[in-house]
Amino acid sequence: MTGQWQEAMQLDELWEGEMAGVEVGGEKVLLMNIDGDVRAYRNRCPHQAWALDEGDFDGETLTCSRHLWVFDARSGSGVNPDNCRLTSFPCRVDEDGTIRVDVG
Amino acid sequence: MTTKRCVLVGGGVAAASAAAHLRKRGFDGDVVLVGEETAAPYERPPLSKEFLTGPPELVRPLTPDWYAANGVELRLGVRAVALDVAGRSVGLSTGERLGYDDLVLATGVRPRRLSGFDGEGVHYLRTAADAGRLRAELATARRIAILGAGFIGCEVAASATALGTQVTLFEPEPAPLARVLGAAIGAVLMDIHRERGVEIRPGEHVTALDRGRHGFVLTTSRGDRVEADLVVVGIGSVPNVELGQDAGLAVANGGLAVDEYGRTSAPHVYAAGDVAAQHHPRYGTRIRVEHHDTAVRQGANVAANLAGEVTPFEEAHWFWSDQYEHSLQSTGRMGAFDSVVLRGRLADRSFSAFSLVDGRIQGVISLNRPGDVLAARRMLFAPHEVTAEQLADESLPLKRLMPRTKTASRA
Ligand SMILES: Cc1cc2nc3c(=O)[nH]c(=O)nc-3n(C[C@H](O)[C@H](O)[C@H](O)COP(=O)(O)OP(=O)(O)OC[C@H]3O[C@@H](n4cnc5c(N)ncnc54)[C@H](O)[C@@H]3O)c2cc1C
Ligand code: FES
Repeated sequence: MTGQWQEAMQLDELWEGEMAGVEVGGEKVLLMNIDGDVRAYRNRCPHQAWALDEGDFDGETLTCSRHLWVFDARSGSGVNPDNCRLTSFPCRVDEDGTIRVDVG
Repeated sequence: MTTKRCVLVGGGVAAASAAAHLRKRGFDGDVVLVGEETAAPYERPPLSKEFLTGPPELVRPLTPDWYAANGVELRLGVRAVALDVAGRSVGLSTGERLGYDDLVLATGVRPRRLSGFDGEGVHYLRTAADAGRLRAELATARRIAILGAGFIGCEVAASATALGTQVTLFEPEPAPLARVLGAAIGAVLMDIHRERGVEIRPGEHVTALDRGRHGFVLTTSRGDRVEADLVVVGIGSVPNVELGQDAGLAVANGGLAVDEYGRTSAPHVYAAGDVAAQHHPRYGTRIRVEHHDTAVRQGANVAANLAGEVTPFEEAHWFWSDQYEHSLQSTGRMGAFDSVVLRGRLADRSFSAFSLVDGRIQGVISLNRPGDVLAARRMLFAPHEVTAEQLADESLPLKRLMPRTKTASRA
């Protein structure tokens, strides 16, 4: 099954080093701008499913505010603990600055 | 050359974290984890929360197949009954003797029991088995009595309330968690429970428990009689030090005394987690912490030391407690509660109470502001200088008060 590229946000609303929780096609999505690269993840922590946009993003790593699990923002892989990872969605930025996400 | 063997005693998160980090840091000897419970290591925090109100699933730090895949031998349902420090071996409940090159004691704590309060319908909560029994009985209970408004008592009160059970909560102190939170925040918590219909009875304790024809009748220190279908006792814990203590290991603050590297007073014997009273270089004193995050981090630290990356444990302590939709978090150490700096308002139930000494944050307790705790945790041991006015000013992001050095920001 192929998904579709749905509009999630405008790039100029998501500054470098910032993240935002949005809803795309009924799916809660976390958008992160890492030095200009945008990533999209399911907005649920792999630990106990709390929303990740309440956490802390220092530009490189994301810390879940509930129990302090830490993830690498660029790869989505767990830093501490390191045996987990965020669920990522394909994400792209159009010429006009529209961030699009494919939630499948 | 012989292979080294590291034995981990205790099947909680501290032991699991030690196992994971031994392998992560390249320890290639034998690792044996001896745990009295039959379940492989799991997280206890959900046991008083989601496990009672939702599906009874265990949250595990490591998947069950991780152990075999990483050559970690699990000896579950087995208790370590004797320690021979000179001979470097532990005696097991199976009658075997297990030799070790290094030993980690991560035996945790057990609930403190109240004499005369046991038997059917009386619950203590520590293990998945305990939680399973409580969950089953909560399903049909109409009224429960909880003795002690500590973390376990308050969380069980919230969970039982969510299930539609009427709760009476007894607490000898003037407010729940008063010693941890201080009187003012304790009072906020008391209001939260009362609004949800919990009958909370501060300054009152239960003196006798009688079984009636329909459940229990409790006699209180005020002479009242209160009925309940089941009873939960949450009056603190007792560290499982006996194995080490009987072998002559030094004890402090009720736990096994360890230095900043996790070493006990006996060679090649380490301790981590709830059972360990560890010297903390940042405070210059021994501290025993009974919270999940510290247990995980101490387990990891001991493993690093065993694998040769000798580093002291000097991380910030941090804990959370969830009650109803409220999230309570804290980091550092609180000083006097009457001099805290408040960010946000108690009445809004969204606030952080900072302990500020000489322009430095010593600790914070937060209700529903986890971001403040994260920021404070980063600042605790990093150079910084803030004023009470800055902390109280909600228009000023805490992040802005943080020192800009990268090295200081990651614990
Ligand atoms: C219901 C509940 C809710 C909690 N909620 C929170 C929370 O919200 N936030 C928070 O920060 N913390 C919470 N905690 C505390 C947290 O769970 C503990 O800090 C943590 O479990 C400590 O881990 P540990 O590995 O040191 O010890 P434990 O988890 O106690 O594990 C020790 C293990 O060792 C075994 N053992 C003991 N003696 C022996 C022996 N001689 N031989 C073999 N095995 C032995 C025990 O059976 C046990 O399985 C909660 C605890 C409970 C019980
Ligand atoms: S839910 Fe994110 S760390 Fe627990």
